Amino acid sequence: MDSTLQQALRDGERLGARYALQVPQVAAGGWTGSRAGRRSGSSIDFQDYREYQPGDDLRFIDWGIYARSDRLNVKLFREEVTPHLDLILDGSRSMNLEKTAKATAAAQLAGLLATAAANAQCTHAVWVSGEGFQRLPNDTLPPSAWEKLELNSRRTPEQSYEILPPKFRRLGVRVFVSDLLWAGNPQAILRRLREGAAELFVVQLLAREDAEPPGHGNIRVTDSETGEETEIYIDSAVARNYAENLARWQQSWSDACRQCGAHMTTLIAEDLENSLSELQAVQLLAPA
Amino acid sequence: MIPLLTYPLALFALTTLPALAAIYILRNRFRRRTVSSLLLWRFQVQSKAGGAKFHRLQLPLLFLLELLALALLVAAAAGPQWKLPQSARPLIVILDDSFSMRAISGGVSARTRAESFLQHLLSAQPPPSTRFILAGARARSLEASAGISPPINDLLQQWHCWSADTAIDAAITLAAELGRNQANILILTDHKPPAENFSSNRIEWRAFGEAVDNFAIVNASRTTFGDQDRCLLEVANFSGRAGEEARSVRLTVQAGTDTPQNSILSIGPGERQRVVFNLPASAPVLRAALDAAAGSDGLDVDNQVQLLPPIRKRVRVQLALADENLRTLANRTLDATGLRAAISSDPQILIHDGATAATNPADGDCWNLHWIGSGGANAFVSPFIIDTSHPLGRGVALQGAVWAGATAANTSGDVPVILAGNTPLLSVREDAPGRRLLTLNFNPELSTLQDTPDWPVLFWNLLQWRSAEMRGLNDSNVRLGAEANLKTAGQGVNITQPDGTTRSFPKTGGELALETPMPGIYSVMMGAARSQFSVNPLSADESDLSSCVSGHWGAWGETTEVRLEETSAVWIFGLLALVMLSAHLFLLAGGKGGR
Repeated sequence: MDSTLQQALRDGERLGARYALQVPQVAAGGWTGSRAGRRSGSSIDFQDYREYQPGDDLRFIDWGIYARSDRLNVKLFREEVTPHLDLILDGSRSMNLEKTAKATAAAQLAGLLATAAANAQCTHAVWVSGEGFQRLPNDTLPPSAWEKLELNSRRTPEQSYEILPPKFRRLGVRVFVSDLLWAGNPQAILRRLREGAAELFVVQLLAREDAEPPGHGNIRVTDSETGEETEIYIDSAVARNYAENLARWQQSWSDACRQCGAHMTTLIAEDLENSLSELQAVQLLAPA
Repeated sequence: MIPLLTYPLALFALTTLPALAAIYILRNRFRRRTVSSLLLWRFQVQSKAGGAKFHRLQLPLLFLLELLALALLVAAAAGPQWKLPQSARPLIVILDDSFSMRAISGGVSARTRAESFLQHLLSAQPPPSTRFILAGARARSLEASAGISPPINDLLQQWHCWSADTAIDAAITLAAELGRNQANILILTDHKPPAENFSSNRIEWRAFGEAVDNFAIVNASRTTFGDQDRCLLEVANFSGRAGEEARSVRLTVQAGTDTPQNSILSIGPGERQRVVFNLPASAPVLRAALDAAAGSDGLDVDNQVQLLPPIRKRVRVQLALADENLRTLANRTLDATGLRAAISSDPQILIHDGATAATNPADGDCWNLHWIGSGGANAFVSPFIIDTSHPLGRGVALQGAVWAGATAANTSGDVPVILAGNTPLLSVREDAPGRRLLTLNFNPELSTLQDTPDWPVLFWNLLQWRSAEMRGLNDSNVRLGAEANLKTAGQGVNITQPDGTTRSFPKTGGELALETPMPGIYSVMMGAARSQFSVNPLSADESDLSSCVSGHWGAWGETTEVRLEETSAVWIFGLLALVMLSAHLFLLAGGKGGR
């Protein structure tokens, strides 16, 4: 793995120490853990009484009530669960755009979210798109221990999903980090990511070069994923057209997210640390 | 056809071309940039520079214009010269200077058409040298002063077309002599040649005239008529063809504030009409003008004349005749001529009979008439021998007259004017100062001559001759092209022509024959004396435009008689560079250069 990304993961881990993942109520399920679940469970925290029904564990019958009222009631205790974060990283080459901070920002953001999830007593898994969605080795460990984080795939996340879809944990919080710059129907992948998830957050990570076109002059632009080239003379009209295209594209993703019940925000890679408030605004992070 | 470069070192400036190209290429090269996706760049906008070949370089049109302009300027600086075919023979152009070349047809005069043709010919195939001969009343070569060859346009400015005649034959002869039969001769005129086939293949005759209708004053005179002036105007109609109806033209005559004539003349085709009228002798210059209907008058110059009052010269005659009969006869005859001055002091003619001859002052200009009126006389009858070409013999017939005279031997040096056998009756001699000494051998007692019309004619001739020899102008009205004779006393003379130009003759030899190159009123300053004479374009041949044609007769040699001459092509490159720079400026101003 690139040492730069390794360092970025460590930086993200350091940043994430200040935050905790905001786990929505609907996500309070899953494996037994240390967080109180939304159902009755086996923790020591008393929750309620209810009448005994055949099959209930006899150990939880409150014999004192039975002695006083001759009625069988069982004590209910709060369930203790471990929420889960599925972190989905766009592993295409556009996320590793040369001469930009996009790749390091993606790694930092992944490390940050994983650390924040740990701070919120959540488990996490990291999926990277490529030739199908693959789990990152050691992804359950702290980010500094992750291996083989590479962002060099020629596949779009949508294509990766077709090849090998990820196996997300149900009712987990899913965060999709991508620049969202590929041609396709946003709803197609969003529906799949949203399916069975407690929440889906879409974080669009753009380099500043993505957000702002280059200055006037002749330019030969190359698609980082397909290698396709085109020559363009950039003037104020072209720059205006580019900005309109980007806004229109972001709006289409935003509309798709709203239809799927997902939350979307956009971060600029070169200004990541100052943009973290955006993640708090969409209630993905909260101060630890 | 490879051009010869006058300054080949200027080609080093071509090194600026790659420099300019480098500037543009470096300035306009494509910056490479890898982007996340081309998704956002798909809005059908490509680089503005078009063209398959130059698309790669993205060089705008301005670059091409600058490159071309630079290359053209370098080429112009190198002084390219091309070898172009030119005529191998010198050219002599004969220009018809007659005023019929001024006739307007289709709004353009024949002279203008001829000059346009000449300019085109000289620019298309310039000869090694060009000479011009002006065919006016005389053939005259237009020469450069002080051996400097002026531009052709300067020479052509002397082609005024004011002559009343065109001596093309003389001009062709002169051209053949000047060109030594080697030069091509081009004749520019308005009529066809006398013979359509030329003996020489060096002559090309081009006519640019048109047969148009014309009214003209073809004769005009103003002469003394007693105390009045008699004026004659002859108007000709050169319009239409014989058999057609007469056409009208208005003739207006003005003399100062008076209008002695203002009439409409109806003149048939090819006919003439005379108008004669008298004017007071004190009337100033007479101006006559024709006003014809539009389309029936192709020539303006012959529509007006100016007639100055005739010069009235009176001769002072002193009689020193002892014989009373002779004196009486002489007085009566002199008075009848109307040319005798009232006074007789400081005489211009002294008539004596020898016995009482007055001494002729040595420094004067008085003529002497020695009248031998007595002595042994013989009466002579015809035939008489008369020198009719002598001023004294004009109009003298002596038919039936008896002339009695002394039989005297002819004095040595006397030129007889009238002889009877070997007896001189009237003879003339000129002394050293130029005075005339006349001898009249005439005895009226035995003669009948004094009773015939020849007698006053003889004396009129004497006084007329004497007055013609007096200083000053002989005539106040001259036809265009004719000479105005001026008698001087040797002093300087300044002539002011109608166009304002002045000609000076610091010293004259007693008689000047003044050229009249253009119509109008000429002023003559001779010492303190000032006089005028008027020149009028009176020429029926030139006013008659019916024979004017356009055409081409004869041709010069073969086309192989051309040679390649180096001709500068700098102007071509300079002009093209100017066009390129103008286009560059236009594109810059319009913002279309693709910058």
